[in-house]
Amino acid sequence: MSIKWLLWIGLYLVMGVLVPWATALSWAHQHGSELRPRPRQLFQRGELGLVGLVVVISVIWNLLQSQFMQQTIAVAAVLLAVVGTMAGDVWIESYCRLSTGTSCNPERTWRDSRNLAFLVFSMAVVVEILLDRFAKVAAL
Amino acid sequence: MGVIVASLSLIFGLLVVSFPVSFPRIIVTSWQGGYLVLVMMVLTLVLDAFLYLRVSYLRSSKPTVLVAACLGSLPIIVVGGLSFLLESAVTQTLSLDLPNVQGRVNEEVLAHTYLGLVAAVFLPFLVIRLLQQFKTTS
Repeated sequence: MSIKWLLWIGLYLVMGVLVPWATALSWAHQHGSELRPRPRQLFQRGELGLVGLVVVISVIWNLLQSQFMQQTIAVAAVLLAVVGTMAGDVWIESYCRLSTGTSCNPERTWRDSRNLAFLVFSMAVVVEILLDRFAKVAAL
Repeated sequence: MGVIVASLSLIFGLLVVSFPVSFPRIIVTSWQGGYLVLVMMVLTLVLDAFLYLRVSYLRSSKPTVLVAACLGSLPIIVVGGLSFLLESAVTQTLSLDLPNVQGRVNEEVLAHTYLGLVAAVFLPFLVIRLLQQFKTTS
């Protein structure tokens, strides 16, 4: 079995999580600031949910390009879209609450976005594995 | 709940990666024997019940009839509905003049099994959450 799906998810983890974190550290170093944000602080307003939504869009696009039957594509796309929308909603709700001064629990926002991003990533990995397998079978 | 579904998803992925031939074969053999849907229904019902009892215990809340009805029926409806879609996908695959038809059918069965498991565990809790939200606002 190839590791294409592993590279794919690694790319998202690096570009979506590690690069923003490294950029924040770099900015702090450049400006002589004492700021040393941890990933939890950097993504405390639910931004991980937004990363999850972007991952889901990419997986749905890959599904649409695949040779799976339309029923399979539809089920997978709807399920991924529901999970992705929920992940994105964490960020939206946090933004709305902070903008309107409604009470907002950062702990809960972080927890929800982290859990939903984990769910999105795990589902994305498995769907990419299944796509990888199907592409090989279809090519035989 | 998201973490449990994510863990289930990762376990499935790990099994597919670790046993790329034998694990899919077990699933396909179960499907050919006609008991895959039944196993999935039982598995998701047990998982949903365990999850609900755990959440109820953590939140010190009593189980309600509405929630019990949702958890009892939705996994069966979801797995049942998806099995019809799988039959339809398999029929369509067989009717088309495609190379390596058996391999394609096996992959369709594997994909539907994964999607069915995740959907049947995840969707009932989503519906319960929406119903609770609706109850609170009304």
